[in-house]
Order: sequence, then structure tokens, then C-alpha cells
Amino acid sequence: MTLRTYVIRRLIVLIPTFFLISIIIFVLIHLAPGDPLSAMFGPRVIPPEVREQITKKMGLDKPLPVQYLVWLSQILRGDLGYSYLSKRPVIEMIAVRIPSTLELMLLAEIAAVTTAIVLGVIAAVKEYSLVDAACSLGALIGYSTPNFWMALLLILVFAFWLGWFPAVGMHADIKFDTPFEALFDHLHHLVLPAFVLAFGWTAYLFRLVRSSMLEVLRQDYITTARAKGVKERVVIYKHALRNALLPVVTYEGYSIGFMLGGAVVIEEVFNWLGLGNFMVQIARTRDYPALMGLSTIIALMVLIANLCADIAYAIVDPRIRYE
Amino acid sequence: MGGRLEGKSGKKSENVYKPSKASQFFIVWRKLRRSKLAVFGTGIVLFMSLVALLAPIIIPFSPEFGGTPLLPPSTAHIFGTDALGRDMFSLVIYGARISLYVGVGAVSIELLIGITVGMIAGYSGGKIDELLMRIADVIFSLPTLMLLIVAVSMFAVRGIQTIMLIMGILGWPWIARMVRSEFLSLRETTFVEAARSIGASKWRIILRHILPNALSTIIVLVTVEIPWYIFYEATLSFLGFGDPSSPSWGILMQRGYLHFSSQGWWMITFPGLAIFFTSLGFNLFGDGLRDALDVTTRGR
Repeated sequence: MTLRTYVIRRLIVLIPTFFLISIIIFVLIHLAPGDPLSAMFGPRVIPPEVREQITKKMGLDKPLPVQYLVWLSQILRGDLGYSYLSKRPVIEMIAVRIPSTLELMLLAEIAAVTTAIVLGVIAAVKEYSLVDAACSLGALIGYSTPNFWMALLLILVFAFWLGWFPAVGMHADIKFDTPFEALFDHLHHLVLPAFVLAFGWTAYLFRLVRSSMLEVLRQDYITTARAKGVKERVVIYKHALRNALLPVVTYEGYSIGFMLGGAVVIEEVFNWLGLGNFMVQIARTRDYPALMGLSTIIALMVLIANLCADIAYAIVDPRIRYE
Repeated sequence: MGGRLEGKSGKKSENVYKPSKASQFFIVWRKLRRSKLAVFGTGIVLFMSLVALLAPIIIPFSPEFGGTPLLPPSTAHIFGTDALGRDMFSLVIYGARISLYVGVGAVSIELLIGITVGMIAGYSGGKIDELLMRIADVIFSLPTLMLLIVAVSMFAVRGIQTIMLIMGILGWPWIARMVRSEFLSLRETTFVEAARSIGASKWRIILRHILPNALSTIIVLVTVEIPWYIFYEATLSFLGFGDPSSPSWGILMQRGYLHFSSQGWWMITFPGLAIFFTSLGFNLFGDGLRDALDVTTRGR
């Protein structure tokens, strides 16, 4: 099978997966007892005729499978419905927030991947050294620390006490003379949230790179290369690293899911107006068309990222047989 | 898989090494003890469990009635007091009860569903297996926190049990996948074939021969899953989707966040530290167990 047919086959598999996801999201929303209206209004008393009217208007009087099909046909046409609260199209509200989240995730991703690879290689090459111990300890701290707690501590120390970074927001509320200044200010706001988002992922990636590198370094072909008199630098960077990074490619497919999960909390703490912050906001107000729409979009993003990771893996690993 | 191969044949001869349940425990402990970090982790886990169990005896002040509000840490209140003047130290200790309860509870639900689904998928194979694993894959790839928020936010009244249940329901793929792969490999082993050949029933093979052998992998996975659920509950609570009547560490941090400034740092710092140490403990303990039980799994 060629790469092209492999990609096409993977794209076809995407269709049933997407249906499965839409069912899971729909079920989750309807897991709570009662209809979404009672969740929306809570204990507040609303006149029965008003209630009936809203129920009819939103099609909540129909049986659940019918509601699901109606919703599905809507999202397939790219219509995510209207928000309960702002009455604006959900897709529009999501679209304006995607760039901020992508920017945050991209910076965190680059920081995490570079740090993890550099430290992972050093730790593996110098196994059991002080550097290795320090990095491993750092990784342990990385995945034992709740990200929102870390975010709060960083705000406390670097914003409140030291005043080095702004505490929250995406830019200062002042007029900038040059666009360069505005950009600098924006990046200044980006540092803390991106750091928190990157920290947890770096911890995971570091462990993966280290163990994968250790495994490769023990293989025969590395011994052969060394026996031939190849320089240690070349052995590590040319012979070992390339193969050691293969599992990292697959793992990167999961990173978008991990990062989006992290972004939910981190954006909320830093008041970063992205998808995560939006999700918390609509979940608090139980704006359920928006909630369903956003979940679908995020699920799609994750699906596409995983697909890309799989294809990338097939390209970089010549041993792989497309199955 | 640990050395579970020793059967009950020991009684036949005096010279045969007789293993017992206790010796199995000590074998693992002896291996675990080799790593100082694992011992440290075990210590933290035991300590936190004791704190949770003995909370009503340990606490110096009532977690319900307060005195002077917003006192910084001092000798009388080593963790300070909260906005209602309650002693933070007592609240954090009480929080251990709730947070650990949620962690252990969610993992138990996850285990129940995960083992059942994994067994069915691994033993039956075919179409059922494929469908179950596809569902698992999908839940796997989506951000868990997002799914939790979506499900939990729709409940008008959120009890701690509801949150626990939802976390357990969404967590099963991790266990199911692993149980399934253990089943697939164990199904082909000689001892299972032997059991089958002497006419053991399907359920006897599953429960007596396969499941015990998959146990060590399950134990390791469970150990590293508990802090995840403590995390998730804390995050949900912090974001305002928790159960305010059950003051877990997350709820404490959410309350502290309202008064969060350089003046009120102790209200978020100490509950956070408690989560950090508990998580560190479980992770180190889990890593140690992984080595001691010779299991290869990768955490979340």
C-alpha cells in the first residue's frame, strides 16, 4: 500500500469516529436528569407556558434520538446553532477565540518539545549523573503539580511580589506608539500562561525521550558505530537520536488533547480569551448549544491532530507498514 | 506479572518452597525498599491515608466555626485562617478525607467498568471487541477535563458522588485497554490452554486464571490513576463545578481564589501543597511498584 492510499483510508475511518464522538458528546450533555432547560434555569421558577414555548422552539419536546439527528444534520452543515445567552451564532463566537488558543498552545508546544528533547538526550547520555537526577526530579514535580495551582503561584510570585510579569489578560489597557511595542506587550503577557502549559507536557515528553534514547543506545548498531570509531557526537545525534525520536512523533498526536485540557484551566486563571476560557464561561451559564458546538470543534481538532501524527509517523519511520 | 506461578502443590513434599499470601507481599516490599524514592512515596501515601482517617482527632480547631478572618500563618494557626476565620490547617486536614475519598472512589468505579469491558473485549474478540475499543480510543483522545466539564456542568445540583461517578464513567478506557491486552496475551498461554483442556468453564478461566495474572498491572495503573482523579476533582471545583458542601482541597482553593492577592496567599498555597505531595507520593509509589512487580505500562 502506498502512502496515498494509507492517508485516504485513514480519512475514511475518520467518518465513523466522528459519529461516535458526536454521540458521546450528545450523551454527556443529556446525562443529567431532566431536560437542559431545568439545568439552565436551575431552581428559578418560570411560568409553565413560557417553559413550554421555549421547549417547543428548541425542539426539546421531541424524543432524544430525534433531537440527536436534528443536531447532527445541523453540525454537518456547519451550523452549530445559536448561543442561549448572547444569541449570536456559536461558530462565530468560537472562530474569534481560536487564534489566542492556538498561539498559546504553539508557543507552549515549541518550548516543551525543545526542552524535553535537549534534557532527555542529556539525561540519557549521562544516565545516573547529577544532571539526570535533577531533570528526573523536575519531571516528577512537573506531573505532580496541578497546573492551576502552579499558575496561581507564578502570578503570586512574578506578578504580585516581583512585578516582572502582568498577572492576567492578553494586553495592557493603554495605547501603544508602535506596533512593535504592542507585540512586545502581548508576548510579555504570554510568558506565564505558556510556561505553565508547557511545564506539564515537558515532564511527560522528557520521560519518553529519556527512556526511548536509553533503549536505542543499548542496541547493537550503536555499539557497531562506536567500534568503527565514529565520534561519540555523531553516534548520539546522527545514529541514536533519529530513531529515539520516533515514539515522540506518535506521542505528539496526544499533545493537542493534553494542551487543550490544560488550556481550559490556564486560560481561565490568566483571563486569556481563548477556547478554554470560553468553555468555562459557557459551562457556567449552561449555554448548551454553545457547549455542544465547542466540544465538537475541539474533538475535530484532536482528531485531525492525531491523524497528522499518524501520517507523520508513517513518513518518518521507513519500517512501518501501512495497515 | 509477578511470580504467581507457584500453585498449591507445596503440601506434597516438605522440601518444596511454600509460598503464602504474606510472602508475596514481602517479596514486593523487599523489591520496593530498594528504591529510596519508592519508600518515600509509600511513606507519603500511608501518611496521607492516616491523616484522612484520623482527621477528626488531629484537627486543632473546628472546620466549621471560625474566629478572626484572614489571619496569615502564625503559631496558633500554622496555615492561617480563611475568609470566615476558619483554621486553614484543620480545613486542609479535613480536605484530605474528601479528596482521597473522591480519588479512591472514582478509581473503584473506573475499575469496575474497565475490568468488565476489558474482559468482554479481550475474551470475545471480533466485532464487539472492535466497537468497544473504538469507543475507548475516542474517549482516550479527547481532553478528559473538557468531557468532565461538559457532563458535570449540566447537573443543576452537583454532589460529590455525582462528580465521582462521572469521573469513573469517563475513565474506564484506561483500565479496559490494559485489561484487554493482558487478556489477549494470557489467553494464548499454556496454563490457560491446560485449564481449558481439563474442562474449566469460561468464567473460571477468566476469574481464576487470567484476572489474577493481570492483577499486578492493574494495581500499578490504579496507583497512578488516583492522583489524576484528585487533580480532576480539584480542577473542577476550582473552576466552580464542584460540590461546595464537600470542602475538598479544590474547593478550598476556589474559596481562597476569591481573596487571592499578595495578602491572601496562604489560602491557595497550602491546599495546593497537599495535592502536590499526595500526587508525588502516589506517583513515586506507583513507579516503585512498577519496578517491583515488573510491569511495563505508561502512565497518562
